Amino acid sequence: MTATWKNPISAFDPEKPVEEVVTNDYLSPQSQWDAVRAYNVPTYEVGRLRYYHKWGGHGARLWSRLRYWPTRRRVLDISGEYNAKTLRRQKTIEDKRPIWWVLALLALAIVPFFIPENQQNALLTAGAVFGIYAAINLCWMLIIGTAGIYSLATYAVVGAAAYGTAYLSIHLGLPWWAMPLIGSIIGLVFGVIIAIPATRLEGFYYALLTLGLVELCRVYVLQSREFGSATGGLFGADSYIPQAWPQHDQLMLGYYAGLALMILALFLFRFVNGKRLGRVLRMAPEKREAFAEATGVNYRAARIQVFLISSLALGFIGGFYSTHFRGAAPNLFSFDTMLLSLSMLVIGGLGRSEGAVLGTLIVVFIDRVLVDWGPMRFVLIGTLMLLVVLFLRGGLFGIKEQFRAWRDKKKSENRSSRAEKGGEMLPEEATETPNKDIIYFRRFDKMQRDFLKKLITPELIEEHRKRPLGQHSEALERVLTYFRRQPLNDKYAITVIEPFKSYRIVALSGSRGVAPRLVEDKTYGTPDEAYHALFMRRVQDLLES
Amino acid sequence: MEKKEVLNVKGLSAGYGPMRVIHDLDLIVYSGERVGLVGLNGHGKSTLFLGIAGLTGWQRGSIKLNGVEVGRTRSQGPGRYTHQVVHHGLALIPQGDEIFTGLTVEEHLDSGAFTPRAWRERAERKERVLRIFPPLKKLMKTAVGRLSGGERRMVSIGRGLMAEASLFLVDEPSLGLAPKIGKGVLDALMSVELGQSAMIIAEQNVALLEGRVDRVIGMHVGKLKGEASASLTFQTRVMT
Amino acid sequence: MNWGFVIANAITLACIYGTLAIGLSITWSSLGLINMAYGFIFALSGYGAWLAAQHVSANGFIVMAAGILTGAAGGLLVCALAFIPIHDKPNFTVRGMIATLAVSLVGNQALLWYFGPRAKSLPQLFGASQTSIFGVVMTADKIGAVVSSVVLLSAVLLWMRSSRRGLEIRAMMMNPHAASIVGIGVRRTGFYVMALTGGLAGLASVLLSQTYYVGPFSGITPMVKGLSVALCGGLGSVFGAVIAAALLGINEAMTSVVFGGQYVLITQFALIILILLIRPRGIAGILDKAREA
Repeated sequence: MTATWKNPISAFDPEKPVEEVVTNDYLSPQSQWDAVRAYNVPTYEVGRLRYYHKWGGHGARLWSRLRYWPTRRRVLDISGEYNAKTLRRQKTIEDKRPIWWVLALLALAIVPFFIPENQQNALLTAGAVFGIYAAINLCWMLIIGTAGIYSLATYAVVGAAAYGTAYLSIHLGLPWWAMPLIGSIIGLVFGVIIAIPATRLEGFYYALLTLGLVELCRVYVLQSREFGSATGGLFGADSYIPQAWPQHDQLMLGYYAGLALMILALFLFRFVNGKRLGRVLRMAPEKREAFAEATGVNYRAARIQVFLISSLALGFIGGFYSTHFRGAAPNLFSFDTMLLSLSMLVIGGLGRSEGAVLGTLIVVFIDRVLVDWGPMRFVLIGTLMLLVVLFLRGGLFGIKEQFRAWRDKKKSENRSSRAEKGGEMLPEEATETPNKDIIYFRRFDKMQRDFLKKLITPELIEEHRKRPLGQHSEALERVLTYFRRQPLNDKYAITVIEPFKSYRIVALSGSRGVAPRLVEDKTYGTPDEAYHALFMRRVQDLLES
Repeated sequence: MEKKEVLNVKGLSAGYGPMRVIHDLDLIVYSGERVGLVGLNGHGKSTLFLGIAGLTGWQRGSIKLNGVEVGRTRSQGPGRYTHQVVHHGLALIPQGDEIFTGLTVEEHLDSGAFTPRAWRERAERKERVLRIFPPLKKLMKTAVGRLSGGERRMVSIGRGLMAEASLFLVDEPSLGLAPKIGKGVLDALMSVELGQSAMIIAEQNVALLEGRVDRVIGMHVGKLKGEASASLTFQTRVMT
Repeated sequence: MNWGFVIANAITLACIYGTLAIGLSITWSSLGLINMAYGFIFALSGYGAWLAAQHVSANGFIVMAAGILTGAAGGLLVCALAFIPIHDKPNFTVRGMIATLAVSLVGNQALLWYFGPRAKSLPQLFGASQTSIFGVVMTADKIGAVVSSVVLLSAVLLWMRSSRRGLEIRAMMMNPHAASIVGIGVRRTGFYVMALTGGLAGLASVLLSQTYYVGPFSGITPMVKGLSVALCGGLGSVFGAVIAAALLGINEAMTSVVFGGQYVLITQFALIILILLIRPRGIAGILDKAREA
């Protein structure tokens, strides 16, 4: 603020020294224009647009010949469109999940051949366990995610089927191939028993009740002599793995059998969740059941159906479990097994099959491969689960969605909370205004006021106080011109009470015939004082606007 | 009596998610003042009140309650700081019935007096509320869930008046009531001695407020109209 | 079979499980949180009492106080980990339950890792004397358990009924949104509630350790029993929980006399399922609508 302004009129009176006033630096009005027009919405580098690989080809909706055999379903959801920018025809894969699934399953299929020799035992065993648990979790996901029944009794069904088939196999010589079938019958029976209270109870009551049922099974199995309370489980059932084979081959067979079981469970998930039952249930989410019912969706029947189907599948898995491990152990019913399994679901993300599989992979890896860690590995799993629950809404597979939702929220918040003081018309107002010029005038006026606010400095006020009339510096002249240009209503003016002795400030009414009103009680002795007080009042209004 | 600023809102913007309801609003309320806030549905009266209490989805701007800054820039956690604002002297009587269905009327009135001083004086305060709403005297031991709409409204307002507050925000006191009862409730509100505190009453029915409040402020698409802007308020105060 | 002995036993157990159930019930109704980490708090306070008995004094009062204080600290920990970060996020009930399950997993394993799998036993708190009431021989620890749980529970209930904090907690049970409007801090009240219910778990733990042992996983069975009592009484209802505890205690006594001890759990669950099928929200369960409003 060191700039000085020389009064050009001083040149008329060369005897006197040139009049100089300390004033503001020159500030270009263009700066305000540039600041307003600048694009100041924060932008993010990541994922501004969804990326789809495009390749050239057919223009209309693609006439794909690759279909799943008996149906008319296309293998990949490929759409063709005409790109108006590049003037080319192109194809896009809309849903890439089938590709990822095939790649992941292929990787799981060939991974045994790349395991180093010394870890083969541990990893192949863990792999078989992974397959079985993934299958169980997929069925459980159907119950929790699709049907929305908070049942914790999954392991009661699995364990009952495993114990039943193991018992039958030991005492009646049931062959291994019949065990899953008999198991699914046991599972169905258990499912019917457990489903009865589900028709009446609501969410958490049911969850706690089923938790109690699992505990009941555990205590029963631990105490009953037929189910091996003495030996710590039932062992000696028939197995599909021939005892005569070398150990490596046995492990490989177990691994691939587990994998096949998981793929079967995936198909079940697909056919229940993705078809009619899943659709029906998605129409009746929590807390909106009444609405769904009113539109004619029989969601109760659908829920029970899903529950029974997955109980059947869980019984099948239970039978497989007992042929795989040649028996069953009471830790199937323990609280920790349930907890670990739940952590698998939660870490992957509730309600999606890829979540169940990935969660199972992570947790089984920590649980079975990092055995050296002792209890610490459970602490690790628990911490992982806690972090996922606290920070992620839909597990690991929900991260992308959650990030997008967060980014959109931030964007729209920023957009809607950019405060423009006394500024442009709001969209609601603008549509109601008959004279659209006012919109542009207000926008311009706001920019001008923002610019003038920057010019108000102590030097400027001091300059005005010294000489309210006459030539002024460039900045003060801009400010005064703006003030003088204001419309008449509520414009300040000076009224003479007694010439050269007392002046007061009034505000004009703006309409003919209505007298100005007094603004304050103060009177001023000289016109210059009154001019300056009026100036100060206008400056205050400008700064406040 | 010295007039001091009870509430000074500066540049408040508030809304829910992508929607901005309050647009950069300034408002000063002085002690001993009864202010009417009128406006159509959806123009932000309730949101202004909720914003002062920190209950909107997001908000920014300064809110000074008795000279203490209680506004903050936040984009989540509605209601997380409301109790602090209340402890600084705000009593919000919300739209509709935010009541505790299981408590009796007496306990309910007690629940309005959570600041330590109000809790100590709750007997006298209850007396005062009963003078304003005599029908409640018979109902003191009844559970609030069994009362009728008008009685609930009285309990809800009575709960607000129990608080040791310097600013009472009353949102639509006559909403959903028969015109006569609504008028009675409003009469009761007018009969409250304010002392050093102030009261803002949001109301759609301007006729009910006319001539009974110190000034009326209009609200239009999230901004104040009429006697609204700070400088104009200043002028009218000096003039009268 | 000695009827009097069995009934006395059942009353003792009912008192202890009732204490647990009321703790769970209060947590659910005021915070909307199903505290699955209750078993962890239970085990933790057992260890706290054991440490106090080892290092400070084996005085019954000190041991009990140590148990209750550790329980309260455990409650605060669970509150800070599983309630504060997510209580106003979407889908809180499910996420809260899973978070407390995770806390319980981590906590139990940490206890196992720190104290080892060997069970510890607490000293006798109430001496070893015996008295005879109505011809029934009662050992001192049973009388002590009944008296101390009844005294502490009634103190808690009286406090909730008459004091300001109690009014806060009850107001939050009914309408959390209105509670914040009248100036109740949800987070602060959350800490009070969790400390209180943690203290109740600590008490139950100390009392139950008179007959059982303190181990890293000793809390799970009592938690399941407490949950089933709370469930049967209706989540959120203190009075219902008391009735349910009495009912299940009587059932336990009857079953063990008539059929034998191993059928206790089966009849227990049959009874609970029966009650829940007749009254789906338990004996006196509040309606869920009270929380939605």
